[in-house]
Amino acid sequence: MHSIDRSVPASTPHGRRSALKALLIPAGGAVLAACAGKTTTSTPSQPALERGATTFAKDGTRVFRNHRLVDQDGRVVWSYDDLIKGRVFAASFGYASCKGVCSQIASSMGGASELIAPMMSKPVWFYTFSLAEDSPGEMREAMIARGLYGRPGWRYLTGSAQAIRDIRWSFGFVELDEESDSNLTTHTGMARFGHHPLDKWSSCPAMGSPVNIARSVVSLFPPDQRPSFPALDYDGSNGARSIPGFKPVPQLVAMR
Amino acid sequence: MRHSFASRRQFLGGTALATGAFAIHARGQGQLTDLGPTSPITLPWIQPLPFARHAVPLPPWASLDPLPRPEAHQRYDEFAPVKFYNMDVKEVLRRPHPQLAASPMTAYQGSVPGVTFMGRYGEPVLCRINNKLPTAMQGFGSSDIIAHVHNGHHASESDGWPGDWFSPGQFKDHHWPHIYAGGDYREAKGTLWYHDHRMDYTAQNTYRGLAGFFLLFDFLDSGDENDPNPDALRLPSGVPDGTRTERCYDIPLVFTDRRFDQDGLLFMDVMNMDGVLGDKNLVNGAIQPYFEVERRKYRFRLLSGGPSRFLQLFLSNGMTFQHIANDGNLLPSPIETDSVYLGVAERADIVVDFSQIPESVHELFLVNRLEQDNGRGPKEDLLPMNQAAQLLKFVLKPATNVPDNSRVPKILRPLPEMDTPVVRTREWDFDRTNGMWTVNGRLFDHNRVDAYIKRGTAEIWRIRSAGGWAHPVHIHVEEQRVLTYNRKPVDSGPLFCRKDVFTLKQGDEMELYVRFRDWLGRYPMHCHNTVHEDHAMMVRLEIIP
Repeated sequence: MHSIDRSVPASTPHGRRSALKALLIPAGGAVLAACAGKTTTSTPSQPALERGATTFAKDGTRVFRNHRLVDQDGRVVWSYDDLIKGRVFAASFGYASCKGVCSQIASSMGGASELIAPMMSKPVWFYTFSLAEDSPGEMREAMIARGLYGRPGWRYLTGSAQAIRDIRWSFGFVELDEESDSNLTTHTGMARFGHHPLDKWSSCPAMGSPVNIARSVVSLFPPDQRPSFPALDYDGSNGARSIPGFKPVPQLVAMR
Repeated sequence: MRHSFASRRQFLGGTALATGAFAIHARGQGQLTDLGPTSPITLPWIQPLPFARHAVPLPPWASLDPLPRPEAHQRYDEFAPVKFYNMDVKEVLRRPHPQLAASPMTAYQGSVPGVTFMGRYGEPVLCRINNKLPTAMQGFGSSDIIAHVHNGHHASESDGWPGDWFSPGQFKDHHWPHIYAGGDYREAKGTLWYHDHRMDYTAQNTYRGLAGFFLLFDFLDSGDENDPNPDALRLPSGVPDGTRTERCYDIPLVFTDRRFDQDGLLFMDVMNMDGVLGDKNLVNGAIQPYFEVERRKYRFRLLSGGPSRFLQLFLSNGMTFQHIANDGNLLPSPIETDSVYLGVAERADIVVDFSQIPESVHELFLVNRLEQDNGRGPKEDLLPMNQAAQLLKFVLKPATNVPDNSRVPKILRPLPEMDTPVVRTREWDFDRTNGMWTVNGRLFDHNRVDAYIKRGTAEIWRIRSAGGWAHPVHIHVEEQRVLTYNRKPVDSGPLFCRKDVFTLKQGDEMELYVRFRDWLGRYPMHCHNTVHEDHAMMVRLEIIP
């Protein structure tokens, strides 16, 4: 059994929000700044999380702790630095010996990844976090059984129970009562989708239709950066047309 | 406009030192919370209640470019538009309180809340909505949009199906024919609202500002308290148009709750899967405003704008008022009560007679006595009046001799007969499995029809909330009737009416008489806790010939 119980704060907190530009309007003196959620990694001075706490620092900055994890091939990765920071990803949770929803999750997420295959590996990553401290070997076997081993951009990740719980909570998958929250047989079937550079987040059932999952993932990207995937089209037309002479407008706040 | 870039925190610090505008900071700094940052302290009752401008149609000589496509709409020629609107959706800066920073928000026609539509039955409308948002929007909210008029009786293609979203640089035409369901004036709707409905992002987009009022009038509810038509109800009238509030006694009020970071910027916890709750109460987009009222009757159109908070509203002096409409639909008769209960997206029209308040009293408050800590729903017990959340302060002007010609008749709008034969019964269980929102144990799929319904037929639906959660269930396109509530017949009270949102508290069951007339196509039914909605607590209904 692979167990890593050391939660390691980042030595150099990365405040994505600190990268947002603030603008001055000379006439009114108004501040333009992002209403974005904000992300960083935790610092040593921050208190331990209480159960179920989504993690925000005092200024509203979203906190992702930087946990040491191991993937299905035994490679060490850091949860924030290597999996979240600067990436676009789809994350779900499960465990190797799961007899419940994990197979369906793998099937749906795998199907979604096939639909958006041209975007796989770069820039979209797919993660499964182990809820049962699986060893790399167990994870690898599970990936093989579920047809996911060797797919580009796919990683199965294990770590200490506390580390995985922190990651799960930071993605919003928290049950209100402790018994439900720690019950493996009813573990979350939701997937978290994130576009960290844009601080864009969404979620949908990980065991739902692969088409719906793929749509949610692709929707993280700005419309002009989305490849055309006919398989993701809705049935029926939305009836929209182009605005004649439209010129794209910049966001009031831009990245530095 | 010339912008100069600077360190945002440097600037905020400088501003605070220079003006004191940001000198008031958060309680409990340094704490990690499960709801997000604690908003800065703001002084209540220092800003007047704001109102959105009325939507303005194109002048008669103007036309849309390119022209609308009649073939894209059901029954377009039959209900040919007589008014055309051309509405932009753009990013704007708005300050919900003078002590907070201006936050980027998303606005219908530059207004947060969105411009107020003033519609009339018999006057079909075509509204073009132009998406002029930035392509890459950082932070919460999507630059894809789709507007839904809640609860417009509109064709499917104009209803705002969540998958019908469109991107910056595109427009979509919505045909709003303003017809009575089944041609029956007793099916009229009065207080509607419109909001974004983009799949996965409804909560985020409405939180950023994409919601506004949509009012409908007819010969009965004519919007004129001096109407010489003997059939007119002559309810208090006059809807404020931006800053034009003189002789306005028909007052839309949308209640929302929001959270702000220590810099006073709008904050949303988009990771929250249960329901997003703010620690600031806003009315019409302003935190705890005041409203000067004359000592006469007022109609208030109360809307619980979410995303997840439930309300039970009282006047702080405990006085009663007339409850005249549920979900914007006039009741058969007014109900005298001291409170109204609103799940997310529910509406209540009430008439308050301020002339009944003693001259010695100069102010009172509209308060919410429901306590709610999470998205599961509110607690059962009411807060004591002195601990209730104060949402809006009424400042009573001195009495005048100006006559109040408005009235609240004992008969408002009769209920239509439920005379369409019932062809089948359906059960709908709103539940939660493995942290996923489900309806009848299934996950939402855009391309899967969950119920085919033959147009013009009637059905009995039983809707239930399981798993200890409250769900305000919204059925699109037509008003429905509550037959039983927790197996008890509903033959009086505020549920004896037509509704489009059915608030199920934990373990509740309602039996509904439903029918879908006039239109064909796909419509959703979903939980209107928009956080649940965005995480797929939805089904697809398909109305077929």
